[in-house]
Amino acid sequence: MSVTLPAPSAMDRVVGVLRRSPTFAIGFAILLFYAALAAFADLLAPLPPTLSFPYETLKPPGTGQFILGTDGNGMDVLSRTIYGARYAFGIAVPAGIIMVVVGIPLGLLAGWKGGWLDEVLLRVLDVLRAFPTIILAMAVVAAMGPGFLNVILVIGFLDSPIFARIVRAEVLALRNATFVRAAVAAGNPEWRVLLVHILPNVILGATAQLPLRMAWAVRISATLAFIGIGVQAPAPEWGAMIRQGAEYVISGEWWVALFPGLALIGMVLGLNLAGDGLSDLLDPKRRASGK
Amino acid sequence: MTAPVLSVRNLVHRFPATNGAVHAVNDVSFDIAPGETLGLVGESGSGKSTIGLLVTRLLSPTGGSIAFDGEDITRASAATLRPLRARLQIVFQDPWGALNPRMTIGRLLEEPLLLHARQNAAERTAEARRLADRVRLPEAALARYPHELSGGQLQRVSIARAIANRPKLVVLDEPTSSLDLSVRAGILQLLDELQRETGIAMLFISHDLETVRLVSHRVIVLYLGRIAEQAAAAQLFASPAHPYTQTLLSAHLPPDPAVPLARHEVVGEIPSPLRLPPGCFFAGRCPIALPACTQATPAMLAVEPGHHAACLRIADGSNLLAQPEGTP
Amino acid sequence: MTLLEVDDLHVEFAARGLDNRVRVASALNGVSFKVEAGEVLGLVGETGAGKSLTALAAMGLLRPPARIPRGAIRFEGRPLIGLPDSAMARIRGRRMTMIVQSPLTSLDPLKRIGDQLIRMQRVHGSASRAEARAKAEAMLAAVRIPDPKRRMQAWPHELSGGMAQRVLIAMALVNDPALVIADEPTTGLDVTVQAQVLDTLRDLVRERGLGALVITHDLGVVAHYCQRVAVMFAGRIVEDGPVREVFARPAHPYTQALIASTPGRIAQLGWTVTGGTPPDLYNLPEGCLYRDRCLRAAPACLVAPPRREIGPAHGAACHFAGEAA
Repeated sequence: MSVTLPAPSAMDRVVGVLRRSPTFAIGFAILLFYAALAAFADLLAPLPPTLSFPYETLKPPGTGQFILGTDGNGMDVLSRTIYGARYAFGIAVPAGIIMVVVGIPLGLLAGWKGGWLDEVLLRVLDVLRAFPTIILAMAVVAAMGPGFLNVILVIGFLDSPIFARIVRAEVLALRNATFVRAAVAAGNPEWRVLLVHILPNVILGATAQLPLRMAWAVRISATLAFIGIGVQAPAPEWGAMIRQGAEYVISGEWWVALFPGLALIGMVLGLNLAGDGLSDLLDPKRRASGK
Repeated sequence: MTAPVLSVRNLVHRFPATNGAVHAVNDVSFDIAPGETLGLVGESGSGKSTIGLLVTRLLSPTGGSIAFDGEDITRASAATLRPLRARLQIVFQDPWGALNPRMTIGRLLEEPLLLHARQNAAERTAEARRLADRVRLPEAALARYPHELSGGQLQRVSIARAIANRPKLVVLDEPTSSLDLSVRAGILQLLDELQRETGIAMLFISHDLETVRLVSHRVIVLYLGRIAEQAAAAQLFASPAHPYTQTLLSAHLPPDPAVPLARHEVVGEIPSPLRLPPGCFFAGRCPIALPACTQATPAMLAVEPGHHAACLRIADGSNLLAQPEGTP
Repeated sequence: MTLLEVDDLHVEFAARGLDNRVRVASALNGVSFKVEAGEVLGLVGETGAGKSLTALAAMGLLRPPARIPRGAIRFEGRPLIGLPDSAMARIRGRRMTMIVQSPLTSLDPLKRIGDQLIRMQRVHGSASRAEARAKAEAMLAAVRIPDPKRRMQAWPHELSGGMAQRVLIAMALVNDPALVIADEPTTGLDVTVQAQVLDTLRDLVRERGLGALVITHDLGVVAHYCQRVAVMFAGRIVEDGPVREVFARPAHPYTQALIASTPGRIAQLGWTVTGGTPPDLYNLPEGCLYRDRCLRAAPACLVAPPRREIGPAHGAACHFAGEAA
């Protein structure tokens, strides 16, 4: 407690956070870059993403106006890669929202109430862990039909139990915490114990996981598109672009698959770094040591 | 005599364990009168904290009955208990863990008022301020979070929360055990003042004999979830009757080198509450145990008026341990 | 020769806050004391006073961000600060050992206690396995563990808290050290068990003529198991002297307040105590560190008080020590 020091400015705080976790800083910077790509794709992309130049197919990078070359349909790889960021965010963000909205209440109730709800949650998790998720996702998307919305729903719901488990574990740890006991002793009704006393103490830890789960979402959506049951070409989705480019790699037209692939790796890396950094920053033990 | 605030009869509690059950509380009965402080002393495994949780019904007893303010609450539902909690409060040992880390002290103090008192927001804020002042918290503390306060200040917050709705009984579960000596004295003084002002009855649970002696009117000594002895504080400390109490008092280290130690040696350590011995639980360690002590549970016998102990040898007055040699 | 001599020891911690400012906490601010052979010195004080830190510094166990900007620690006349780790390792665990607070976490859960006692000797010496085994057994007997031969085979989790603390004492003494540092050796043990463990420790220290530094917040332990006491406040020794002297005639206002806070004294003399928080270690005041809490504070206290001798081997760091209140 150093009461005598003047209050730190917002800038001090931002710099402090970035210094304490360079991991988070790098991840966050990468995500900012991708967010800018998505937001200003119209300005940044030299050409519309699905504009086809039928006589300019498979031009290598640096041919005329095609900085990164063209694909088999004669579409500009650079423009498509930039627009791909919109698809990545367009899937990761709503899927993340589904995970939070479904997973957190589920985890809260399962952890607090126990009983059949907890059992069901744990069994569902067992199933999810036993199957490779990608196979499960494939099966569901195949049944529901491919498409942007279906991919979001499948990813969001498949991952919410994992989110629920994170919250459940934190609730279990807090259930016997003295302050929760004190809240009951004070005469709090059950809903208030859960929403006012437990939820605010688990939500930060859970949100630290969100970037990691969103990285997973980006990867799965690309994988689904790659095997042809996710977002369909010619939409500029990275997975779909890689699928399309893969067949040309052998014949030497590497650029069609490489650049969307790099973009995908970069975004997943950014989300993972941000997620790891965030968990470090929110870890109360590391925080206390800096006091 | 006035009706007791709390009346506990034949209280039993068992915690399920992998192999059997932990016999935490074994047939405990006592009353607390209005305005009285009852001290509950014992070592680990004595069941003292479990009793605190049972009488505030944060745990449901396995057997026996608990009556608070004339009302049987042994099996009362959560909904029945909620309004009653305004009058029946508890303060826990760990001041750092007992307050929600994400609420300001102001909100923490307003919470009991929000739950039980019919007040509007402005009245609550004013009342929280008054409470903070009563427990001598600086006003600046109201805007702070628990991690910004010291242990002593946090314990004052917990006490303020407990007294917010003018309770009849407050259970204090080792309220000063994790605090430093000088901070501890301040908390004890505050409790003493509060009791004088409002006549709150207190159940003061502690392993610290000195503290219990200072604050209690009456004292119960627990051993493995059973009452070994109960008496007025002065009687108990002046003439302990149960061999366990005598041992416990002799093992205490008074913080004064001028007071000689007179140590009764006991053998071994406290048995596990998972496998309790038959008869008197202390018999295995007792220097004056008779064969009969391991046969049947000893009854509470009167030593003098208001002073009872569960020892067979009280019947013929042979319950006192030989005077030990003073240890240098 | 003086066994352990700590002279004007300063320890500070530098940490960077969330707001990116570097702050320095001055945890020890000039600690000086001596432990002679055959003597038990009690180091008392409240949480954060720097008791355990002093012990860690003496054992050479301080690691960054802690640093020692000033001061000296000498063990058997040999300066320890700046000693290379390899040299320190030969002293630590052999000539100077430590008994810590939490016995069960200090024992290796995957090794039988006999093997741990044997390993302790073989790491530091050239005893044969058979010699080490015999000595381990003798040591368990010395700390009054019943049936030591059988107990050699026990796993740590099979021990009660009191037994585990006895095993730790055996570990600390098995290499015949000259100095034992016991950091809160009985905190967390039950009263009846505490007494037994302390008796054992005291008898062993006495029989073997060791020096001991006992760190505790319990004045009862100091009163009955130590010959001399040093009282710490905010990283300084405010008073030191023979135990009987200090309890009978405490000279520093902090020692006086500490003794007056014991329930026994409160029962006799009433509520006389003014509690308070220790000073902010990140921002220490000038002069006497106890000034803000002190009932006798005067303008003179803006200057740091030197230790004033007020009796044979009894001193206090207060301008008014030895004067009537």
